[in-house]
Amino acid sequence: MADLRISFAGIKSPNPFWLASAPPTNSGYQVQRAFEAGWGGAVWKTLGEPIINTTSRFAALSFNGQRVAGFNNIELITDRPLEVNLKEIYETKKRFPNHAIIASLMVEPKQEKWHEIVKRVEDVGVDGLELNFGCPHGMAERGMGAASGQVPELVEKQTYWVKEVAKTPVIVKLTPNITDITITAEAAVQGGADAISMINTINSLMGVDLDTWNTIPHVAGKGAHGGYCGPAVKPIALNMVGECARNPLIDVPISGIGGISNWQDAVEFILMGATGVQVCTAAMHHGFSIVEDMLDGLNNYLDSKGIASIMDIVGKAVPKYSDWGDLDLNYKVVARINNDVCINCNKCHISCEDTSHQCIDMLKNENGEPYLKVREEDCVGCNLCAIVCPVEGAINMVELKQPLPKMTWNERQSNIARFKIDKVAK
Amino acid sequence: MDEYETLKWGEVMSDHLQYLEEKRKIDSYFEKGYQIVSIFENLSGTFVDFVTSNDSGEREIVQLQLLTAESRKYIASKLIIN
Ligand SMILES: Cc1cc2nc3c(=O)[nH]c(=O)nc-3n(C[C@H](O)[C@H](O)[C@H](O)COP(=O)(O)O)c2cc1C
Ligand code: SF4
Ligand code: SF4
Repeated sequence: MADLRISFAGIKSPNPFWLASAPPTNSGYQVQRAFEAGWGGAVWKTLGEPIINTTSRFAALSFNGQRVAGFNNIELITDRPLEVNLKEIYETKKRFPNHAIIASLMVEPKQEKWHEIVKRVEDVGVDGLELNFGCPHGMAERGMGAASGQVPELVEKQTYWVKEVAKTPVIVKLTPNITDITITAEAAVQGGADAISMINTINSLMGVDLDTWNTIPHVAGKGAHGGYCGPAVKPIALNMVGECARNPLIDVPISGIGGISNWQDAVEFILMGATGVQVCTAAMHHGFSIVEDMLDGLNNYLDSKGIASIMDIVGKAVPKYSDWGDLDLNYKVVARINNDVCINCNKCHISCEDTSHQCIDMLKNENGEPYLKVREEDCVGCNLCAIVCPVEGAINMVELKQPLPKMTWNERQSNIARFKIDKVAK
Repeated sequence: MDEYETLKWGEVMSDHLQYLEEKRKIDSYFEKGYQIVSIFENLSGTFVDFVTSNDSGEREIVQLQLLTAESRKYIASKLIIN
């Protein structure tokens, strides 16, 4: 039985699975049920001046039978008065003293507003604060959420104001709606953040109805951009976590959020530098009980690898995340087809022939039966055929040992620089 | 320029054969004692100037245009090995 407890910027939690600030953490009733189900922590639905929501609010992308591959919402922060939330936070914390309760906060970018809300939520015994600089819709139009989270100076200043009065750890939740998230992450660190979390949702429009020409979702025939999340955003979130984790100027713990649906996703984020994870869409899709499989799976994974504590794998893949210029150009893989498993659907041939390097030949054996073979000398090892192949194990990418030494692009450029002359080819 | 040697795209069937041909030329210049004096790269590929001295001490320069990515890797790898 591995030790799943985490200490995140000093915040203790029985396991790394927290519910993200969103509908699943809207009330004490929900958070208490989530803790009973096994969640280690909850970031309360963002507190601030109560808002008014529209109907409808959500839309989802179904892709080839997979429901909720992506999820979109135009919901705002809490619509309940602060006192109601604070009372329920207090009661929940009393019932679950060892679970992590984080208050997500969003107010106007004014020092006194931040001071006021921080003091009031800390009075009821939260374990930490998460500053919501990420909500991309509704609140942003009022100068909050992503609007302030996209301006590094505002991130730094607001973090600083919170740190002036905060007694508990301050997590800054970053928006992905920015070209380079490390810039705002650095600003949060400059402002004194104890930790950062990412990602909030990505600006999106889910679709347009082909009959009514309404946006999806629409509110009485009109739409507004929303925030995208769920499995589809995982690669974007994972990259952002990795980029922050490997940046020496961002030397605070990271809470990973975005498309995490199972224990495997969680492990990937943790290996890539997250000290814990937050989940929203998967819980909205399947309910709180998904955490049971997450806990079992994580525990078995650690046991099978002989790892005593989840904290021991935090960031272990970060050194492997590098820059393109540092990748070995003389490393070579090629596709190899296992004809015992292949069902001759020809998808690989078509993809390679039409959109890659035309090196999968359709041949016939001595009995006149068709089979496919990769001309390995022409294969560039792009992986496309293996990606499109519907049969597990029918195409393997195999490494071909090269006689040439390791050479990255950066090494190549410095090697040939000795011979470079400034000349135009005739 | 004494010799301007270039391979025409499409003269050979595949990238791989093209590479083998370019590699053969690179190797043969090295075998004949040529040394690289300059490399420059532009939209048309990589141009490598090899130089050698003949019996009468005259410098002889040949230029090789490399069209394939594999040989652009190969030439730089040779610089590490040599
Ligand atoms: C309906 C909905 C409401 C949300 N409301 C908030 C919020 O109030 N505060 C906040 O910080 N993030 C909010 N989020 C963003 C989530 O906390 C989370 O960052 C995002 O959904 C990505 O995680 P996921 O892919 O697991 O859903 C909301 C997301 C959804 C789907
Ligand atoms: S890896 Fe790419 S180039 Fe090689 S066979 Fe597959 S699709 Fe073609
Ligand atoms: S895509 Fe896979 S199953 Fe289909 S022909 Fe290619 S190797 Fe065989």
